[in-house]
Amino acid sequence: MSHHISTLPTLLSVAGALLVLTFLTVAVTWINIPEPFNVIVAITIAVVKATAVAMFFMNLYWDSKFNSVVFLLSILFLTIFVVITLLDTLFREGGLPVY
Amino acid sequence: MADSSQKTLRIREFPIDENPGHTYLNHEKGILSWLFTVDHKRIGLLYLGSVILFFFVGGMLALLLRTELLTPAQSIVDADTYNQIFTLHGAIMIFLFIIPSIPAALGNFFLPMMIGAKDVAFPRLNLASWWIYIFGALFALYSIITGAVDTGWTFYTPYSTQTGTSVVSMTLAVFILGFSSILTGLNFIVTLHKLRSPGLSWSKMPLFLWSLYATAVIQILATPILAITVLLLAMERILGIGIFDPSLGGDPVLFQHFFWFYSHPAVYIMIVPAFGIISELISTYSRKTIFGYWAIALSSLAIAFIGFLVWGHHMFVSGQSELSSVVFSFLTFFVGVPTGIKIFNWVATMYKGSIDLKTPMLYALAFLFLFTIGGLTGIMIGALSINVHLHDTYYIVAHFHYVMMGGTVIAMLGGLHHWWPKMTGKMYNEFWGRITCGVIFLSFNMTFLPQFIMGSQGMPRRYFNYVDQFQGLHQFSTIGSYLLGVGFVMMAVYLLWSLFKGPKAPSNPWKARSLEWMTSSPPTHHNFEYTPVILHGPYDHHKPMKEFRMGVAEESESPDVIEIDKDPA
Amino acid sequence: MANQSVATEKKSHLQHHFVDEDQQFESSKMGMWIFLVTEVLMFGGLFVAYIIYRAWHPDLFYEAAQELDVALGATNTVVLIASSLTIALAIRAVQLDKIKAAINYMAATILLAGTFMVIKYFEYMDKFGKGIYPGESYTYDGLEHEMAANFFSIYYMMTGLHGIHVVIGMVLIGWMIIKAKKGLVHSGYYTPVENTGLFWHLVDIIWIFLFPLLYLID
Repeated sequence: MSHHISTLPTLLSVAGALLVLTFLTVAVTWINIPEPFNVIVAITIAVVKATAVAMFFMNLYWDSKFNSVVFLLSILFLTIFVVITLLDTLFREGGLPVY
Repeated sequence: MADSSQKTLRIREFPIDENPGHTYLNHEKGILSWLFTVDHKRIGLLYLGSVILFFFVGGMLALLLRTELLTPAQSIVDADTYNQIFTLHGAIMIFLFIIPSIPAALGNFFLPMMIGAKDVAFPRLNLASWWIYIFGALFALYSIITGAVDTGWTFYTPYSTQTGTSVVSMTLAVFILGFSSILTGLNFIVTLHKLRSPGLSWSKMPLFLWSLYATAVIQILATPILAITVLLLAMERILGIGIFDPSLGGDPVLFQHFFWFYSHPAVYIMIVPAFGIISELISTYSRKTIFGYWAIALSSLAIAFIGFLVWGHHMFVSGQSELSSVVFSFLTFFVGVPTGIKIFNWVATMYKGSIDLKTPMLYALAFLFLFTIGGLTGIMIGALSINVHLHDTYYIVAHFHYVMMGGTVIAMLGGLHHWWPKMTGKMYNEFWGRITCGVIFLSFNMTFLPQFIMGSQGMPRRYFNYVDQFQGLHQFSTIGSYLLGVGFVMMAVYLLWSLFKGPKAPSNPWKARSLEWMTSSPPTHHNFEYTPVILHGPYDHHKPMKEFRMGVAEESESPDVIEIDKDPA
Repeated sequence: MANQSVATEKKSHLQHHFVDEDQQFESSKMGMWIFLVTEVLMFGGLFVAYIIYRAWHPDLFYEAAQELDVALGATNTVVLIASSLTIALAIRAVQLDKIKAAINYMAATILLAGTFMVIKYFEYMDKFGKGIYPGESYTYDGLEHEMAANFFSIYYMMTGLHGIHVVIGMVLIGWMIIKAKKGLVHSGYYTPVENTGLFWHLVDIIWIFLFPLLYLID
């Protein structure tokens, strides 16, 4: 495995894209997108940004694929945690637990 | 391996030094050379000593509990003390003994040896993990001195946010111990990926290592959730952040989700390494290739995965939604499939083998018997309707003691005896080994079988008093626990005796085929004086022993050198 | 290995149990990624709490988030992205043996991280001034919702844990500067810088999610 050295244009353009996306994620709040699409848009932009950082700043794109698998595993198990817990919290008989 | 280019390896057989003058034990002298060693074998022994110490402490607490339960009313301690003792018994046994027990002690010692490596990938991190463990243990000790904890080892809210006992320091202890566990798991994963010897493909890895791999995956994925859970619990007590505390608008059931998302997979951190040991023992003492290698290897990973989907079966009466109870109960049954696969493969391995009933094999057979009871009762209480009846009774107590003690502890004892000659270079007394195994097996059943009966009749767990009808069974159980204590004392005596007076162990007393037996007993500082090359599987008992002692030859002119194409898996 | 010739000239960092530098480098990096997994999952626990409470009380999150300053949050996002760029440039400089440039880039990263913390400090102080404390000390009465304190508890837990990581990252990068000054890292051996960079990028990624989830609820 040779060591990847990122080129200057790559790093700068990724940073540029991240700044544009940051502006975009703020800008979409100025137009009122109805629930739940505003959350979906915000998360989608965040995921794109995070993917860019992981692939080009953290070099996953050039790295051993196993490291990407490792990283994705954390997301997978987090998803399992969220989804199964929501099976409880969203479906309680008594409605919302307001005390 | 890192080098992917094809090259020719020159290998030859290396004889084993049966009387090594220079071993890891006398490589360096003095207490500091132990406390600050980066040798995985010495760290393994440090861990072994520590977990045995805490097993002793936890066991003494258990005997206190059993003594208190001799009579239906108060016998020796008052009710509050009783609550503190069972909490400490649980917390010590789980966080300080059973989670680090097999992986950090035996795993640390044998994982690098079994893959022909000189050490784990990060030796200093390995040492740090032991020190962090000790630091965590000191925190736990501090919490005991400053008022102990009486919440049960599960720290359920809202009681844990209200009780006057020192919950914060205990949760910090758990947080720190989690770090230690993560570092061990991280080390094992990287070591298994990067440091395997030439020829040691994934398909030639001993099954103990597959089980440690699965364990490490769980440690990495589950322990961080425990960390954030205990951190939030501490914040709940310090700041009153109201995430888990109902009086502040929080949700106590959410705490249970958080807690069991770690603690159910943690059950598999405890038992999966035991499965690995049993695979080694059954194959070695049946002199037979393991039946269903890939089935056993992959079922460990399957258990690791399914273990993350079933945590809610601890919460059937907590008030979680009916939907999730049904889903959790359904998913719980799937755990039985890979576990059953293992049991059947072990039994199939023994079929027509030439079984040698040495002490470790006796422990393996005891494991099969006890773990099957523990596992099948687990299937029963995984069923939603039965669970509601048996929830929080002695049936649960008996179930998890059959799994954790009848499973993990018995397997660990088997592994300890199996590897004792390798670790210490001394043979223990076979006669007393077998007798003690019998004593432990019988007294274990005496202690915990009655608890199944009491539980099914409605004896609740964690109760200080009980109705008179249970007194006979409780007393029977208590006597069993005393005998169990006697069994462990017998073991301590003959093992210590063997250290000082025992006969010298040969390099491979059990005629095993895996790599750790292909070096001297005790091993040298770097495990092997050569780089091992692996041509055969770890259970190929039908192949001659000398074919397992291959290593990279420095001198190519030697007449017995053979050349093979290196095939890095 | 791209820079084999350079590597052989410098002091070897190869530990005895590795076969070669590449194996050691790949092992360290894999170890770091596995550690990052534990970080993701630890923060993940807080995200789960966030998701569940937001699903229970969407109105609470809408109301309470209005108290947070989008401009400051966005500025901090830009600051962290810039710091991610500088640490990536620092690694590139080390790989090219431009140690002086690498030290400057790392110093810039610490400076940006410090800026982040200063902005965060003013945000916190502004909240404390209004009586918006985590947990039971909450006294602010500008919000109608009875569980307003719970939102800010989650806010403080998430940003607080993130802030601790920023500080840890600053310490690590400072340590790397010392290493670089001593000439301990170079194109043949830059594992610690690489791993520190990975850690720092993860801190950035977590903030990338925290920002829209906490500040941009409308």
